[in-house]
Amino acid sequence: MSEMVLETEKLDKVYKLGGREVRALSDVNLQVKKGDFVSIMGPSGSGKTTLLNMLGCLDKPTYGKVILDGVDVTKVSERKLYKIRRHKIGFIFQTFNLMPYLNAIENVELPMEGTKKSGDKKKQRARELLKMVGLSEREGHRPHRLSAGEQQRVAIARALANDPAIVLADELTGNLDTKTKYEIVRLLGTLNIDQGTTIIMVTHDSHIAARAGRMLSLYDGKLLPKEKEGTHLLKRELICPYCGREIQPDNTFCPHCGKKL
Amino acid sequence: MVIALGFSMAIMISIPAGIVANQEAAQNLTEDYNSTINNMQEEINKTSTLIECRTSSGRGTPSGVPSGMPFGPGQEEVFVNETVVDEISSIEGVKDVVSFLEKSSEETTSETLSTPRGDFTISRPLYTITGVPLNSSFIDNYSILPTDITSGRNLNEEDTGVVLMSSNLTDYLEVGVGDNVEIYGESFTVVGIYESTSQSIMQARGVYMNIIEAQMITGNTGNVSRLDVYAEDVSYVDGIADVIEAAYSDLYVTTYKDRLENLERMQDMYETTVENAESTLSQTQTVATQEIIIAVVATSLIVFFFMLYTARERTKEIGILKAIGFSNWNVMSQFMLEGTLMSLMAGVVGIAIGIVGAPILSSLLLPSVNLFPTQQQRGFLGQTPGQTMNFGTTLTQSTAAAPDLQAILLAFGVVVLLGAIGSLYPAWRASRTSPMEALRYE
Repeated sequence: MSEMVLETEKLDKVYKLGGREVRALSDVNLQVKKGDFVSIMGPSGSGKTTLLNMLGCLDKPTYGKVILDGVDVTKVSERKLYKIRRHKIGFIFQTFNLMPYLNAIENVELPMEGTKKSGDKKKQRARELLKMVGLSEREGHRPHRLSAGEQQRVAIARALANDPAIVLADELTGNLDTKTKYEIVRLLGTLNIDQGTTIIMVTHDSHIAARAGRMLSLYDGKLLPKEKEGTHLLKRELICPYCGREIQPDNTFCPHCGKKL
Repeated sequence: MVIALGFSMAIMISIPAGIVANQEAAQNLTEDYNSTINNMQEEINKTSTLIECRTSSGRGTPSGVPSGMPFGPGQEEVFVNETVVDEISSIEGVKDVVSFLEKSSEETTSETLSTPRGDFTISRPLYTITGVPLNSSFIDNYSILPTDITSGRNLNEEDTGVVLMSSNLTDYLEVGVGDNVEIYGESFTVVGIYESTSQSIMQARGVYMNIIEAQMITGNTGNVSRLDVYAEDVSYVDGIADVIEAAYSDLYVTTYKDRLENLERMQDMYETTVENAESTLSQTQTVATQEIIIAVVATSLIVFFFMLYTARERTKEIGILKAIGFSNWNVMSQFMLEGTLMSLMAGVVGIAIGIVGAPILSSLLLPSVNLFPTQQQRGFLGQTPGQTMNFGTTLTQSTAAAPDLQAILLAFGVVVLLGAIGSLYPAWRASRTSPMEALRYE
């Protein structure tokens, strides 16, 4: 799997605050291959969200290119950008951002509005996705009747609705308790392995970041050249990083050595 | 919100309904006037050789048409001796003299007359007797008896002990053909019923009988109250009228010319009334147009500001929708749809309010239309019994506004259209929101 899904070249973003220029991103060069599970870690104000907005076509860089699935999205006009957002990108937010007046399955169907899929097809796909995130039983519930973890699962299912080239997660565990946090990250890991979903996850939580395959760090708008390997890489091979024996993708603890994965 | 919209829609329904109601009333008024004038014109033309002589000052009506208005209050019934019949018959050029005795009943009824100016209670005789000489040549040649027989038969030569009654009287007394009725203490059999000549509630209730019996029962033996003098030819009419007027100062004489003049005067007055009504109506329409414009502007403004507010409230939602791939058009059509749906709901509420409240709303919002003669004119009309009472038809006509289906559908369409137009800009603005900024919005 060496096909490049996302690539940035010399990405710069400069905000003007009053008369002062603030450089939020400078010279970011990022390469993400198909099937990668990347975490980008950094303290608040390091430009994480700015970068994610660039990658998610919500904002345009001041300078540089964002090449998504072979297309330089910085050159795409605002009026056509929605197609890229709809078909190439899946967003997961810290605050879930589900529509409160829609139930789980309707929320998952939402990104498919405006596509050529028939109503039945949409429903079928949404059901499939809810099953994938383990919420088959709760498809008729509205967000306020779901727990935070369940809401984030619905949001993940929604992000996958149009089978995007890349999923962008912005602090997706920020509003979750510790236990749920790991469940959600594990779900992402499972999707990454089972579905081959390419994921970029932005977080300031190093424990969460460590669950990804590739760990990148952003500091003062610059991507640090040193890249670490996360524990996920090993998980992908389904081998316990501690004892080296075989494990299942959904194990929380190694069935052999008993250590937390 | 929906209710407010509903109200402006109700206004849009009610006002045209009010206008239509007023226009109909005006039209009816004009038609009534025209038919009255035409009938009278015909009647007058047919009776060019007739000279009417009355013992009271009430303006003459063509013979055969029952005197509409009973004698006004304080107006005494005066009679002259039959001997004048022979005297007048001897005037050169006189062909026939038909004498009548008209006498009101002593019993009276109180009735309430509803007019736009309020209710009037009037007291009038229960019925008016007309004694007619039942002579076959008179009956054949002149219209001395009512012609509209609805049941039974008309009076024949030398009928005695029988009466012909107007339908409004038989209705009032609840009697039919063949029943006995008591008149001035004597029992008579109803042989026929004639239709009262107008639907006016003030139409006199008439009883026709042999003049000899009428004279007897009312204690007026040898007396008459009205003489219809027929000339040999129209050329004699003026001469005969002059002679009668000179010889009998207690007789009020009207000829063809007098009646024609009278008619012209009435015609003038009718025209003035119709003109007044029309000018009031056009003023009303101006007001109505202004009000409809206000309602339309109000509706669009309500939708506009509400949608603007909603779009602002839902900035975050818009941001999310755009981030997950909604196009500007998707967002815009969503908002347009909501605005239109809201006005659709308002439309339903409006129709409900409009149907229930149209009469109230239109009377509140439109200046009251006066289609009726002023008090002065009414006074003048009062002097022309018979014809004036055709106003009764108009008076009872309701001017209440009832919205018709067309107005409802039109207003409904307009409201929905305004909903769409009013939400156009807010929806457009919503669709242009930058998703990144919208996402940050709390």
